[in-house]
Amino acid sequence: MTNRTLAQALVVFRKELRDWSRDRRSILTAVIGTLFGPLFVAFMFNTLASRQRQVEDVKVPVVGIEHAPALVDWLRQQPGIEIVAGPSDPEDAVRTRQEDVVVVIPKEFAERFKASKPAIVRIVADSSSQSTRPKQQRVRGLFQRYNAEIGSLRLMARGVSPVVATPLGIEEVEVSSAQQRAAQILSFIPLFIMMAAFMGAMQIATDSTAGERERGSLEALLVNPAPRSAIATGKWLAGTATSMASVVISGGLLLVIFQSIPLQDLGFRFRLGTPHLVGTLAAVLPLCPFIVAVQMYVATFAKSFKEAQSYLSLLMMVQMLPGFLATMYPITSQNWMYFVPWVGQQVMMTDVLGGKPPTAIVFAAGAVMSMALAAIAVRGTTALLHRERIIFGR
Amino acid sequence: MIRVENLHKRFGNVNAVDGVSFTAADGSVTGLLGPNGAGKTTTLRMLYTLMRPDDGRILVDEVDAVADPEGARRQLGVLPDQSGLYPRLTAREHIHYFGELQGITGRDLADRTNDLVKMLDMTDIVDRRVAGYSHGERTKTALARAIVHNPRNVLLDEPTNGLDVMSTRAVRDIIRRLKAEGHMVLFSSHVMQEVSALCDTIIVIARGRIVASGSPDDLRAQTGHQNLEDAFVTLTGLGEVTSS
Repeated sequence: MTNRTLAQALVVFRKELRDWSRDRRSILTAVIGTLFGPLFVAFMFNTLASRQRQVEDVKVPVVGIEHAPALVDWLRQQPGIEIVAGPSDPEDAVRTRQEDVVVVIPKEFAERFKASKPAIVRIVADSSSQSTRPKQQRVRGLFQRYNAEIGSLRLMARGVSPVVATPLGIEEVEVSSAQQRAAQILSFIPLFIMMAAFMGAMQIATDSTAGERERGSLEALLVNPAPRSAIATGKWLAGTATSMASVVISGGLLLVIFQSIPLQDLGFRFRLGTPHLVGTLAAVLPLCPFIVAVQMYVATFAKSFKEAQSYLSLLMMVQMLPGFLATMYPITSQNWMYFVPWVGQQVMMTDVLGGKPPTAIVFAAGAVMSMALAAIAVRGTTALLHRERIIFGR
Repeated sequence: MIRVENLHKRFGNVNAVDGVSFTAADGSVTGLLGPNGAGKTTTLRMLYTLMRPDDGRILVDEVDAVADPEGARRQLGVLPDQSGLYPRLTAREHIHYFGELQGITGRDLADRTNDLVKMLDMTDIVDRRVAGYSHGERTKTALARAIVHNPRNVLLDEPTNGLDVMSTRAVRDIIRRLKAEGHMVLFSSHVMQEVSALCDTIIVIARGRIVASGSPDDLRAQTGHQNLEDAFVTLTGLGEVTSS
């Protein structure tokens, strides 16, 4: 590329950015694409945190405390449990969501307990309410533990080893633990970052190609004594700039959010900090030129902005696929994946967030690969701009 | 100056341009006159190098436009068939954009822009976004950016199409002025009066072929019609059915 060509590419670059910055629609798309991820993560962690807090300090309303003083004392000794007097109509209180869960101890409790018959304890709960389920489980768990303790004592009193009464040793692996859910949220992050890159690129990629055709301004532009490569390059650089800006802002906000969430309090062992952000950016920023170049190439085929957008939303679905699969089936990263643009960056980000960043060579290889493919796509767009059907077809 | 020799362009089975040759000289206005679909736009598109001829030669100031399209475009100022603008940019920004692509910068570009704005009487609107422009204001903007680099040769595809009286006059003034400054102006039109009022040479084109060329007087003499419009109808064969 000669100096003159480069200068012309920069002229196009500046014009496209100026044009973009004045388009309310494009700014809106960019803002949504950039903020969606961080806001979603903030929301999810907030929900998670409030649920966690709910489970840790549980206030359990009990109706009929006087019928089982020993049980209630035991409950009071459990960490994080506070026993309060229950409402007069427990079922109604739960149905109207005044209480999440109410324990009812009937008056025949003591009598049956003494007779070693199952003493009824009623747990009034609404299992259709997602948000109160952890609390219900916590209460149920308390009674199960009390059950086991008293059962063991009774067996021992009769000279039987409690082990006999435990034919199964049940170990539950709770997959919906907070830790797991946090990991799930984390696995969305690469997806959000990719979305920011994609949406940040989209406006310029479509407006400067299909938009130019739709307005009938392409013909006049190409009459200038600038090679098509200069024009395609300028547009590509402008799209790359907005895409990268979108990624940096999105990543930065995610970092801010993670640093303002007291992860330790939620029982998470990991911390997300600047190294993670740097690693993520190192993985994704070199991909932006590729995303823009592909979008531009596809959008150049479209005669109108709308047509281009429908092509690009299909492209977006295709590109999102590996990310979705990764959130559902945690992928065991294989070496070849690092060299596939889009997939590779996703794997790299997952590695980075998991605290095992790949080596510099892997970063470099991914970058070289996507730059090479970007160059091919820009050449493709340049070739399209030579086609009479593209220039004049409206 | 533009010299065209034996230009051909086919679209499928249609000979859009079928052996067109002419010369358009510096310091003169040449009109490409013909009914819609005669091949005017296709001819111009080949001249401004966005369309490649199937056969023939185009010389723009001795630059072979087929072999060196970019070199030829450097000698050209073009108002193409489609002169869409960028709605979010002002007229001044449009002129600057094309000026910078032509390699003009700084003081030169600012001065040239101001000259054009004055010449086209656009002072009031030049710093407004073009989204709200009238058709005439759009055409002026497109024209200004097309000749920002003061090109030797100016090609205009139906420049006055759909314009109101005042805008038409402004465009005509520009054409006369360019001629007076020694430029070559070649423009297409399907309006007889337009062409007869401005042109030194008229090239009448129909079905991809040149059916007549010469000064307005030549054409009258050639056809035996005193009225140029009758001459046009006879030449293009449009009146074959009715006039015989």
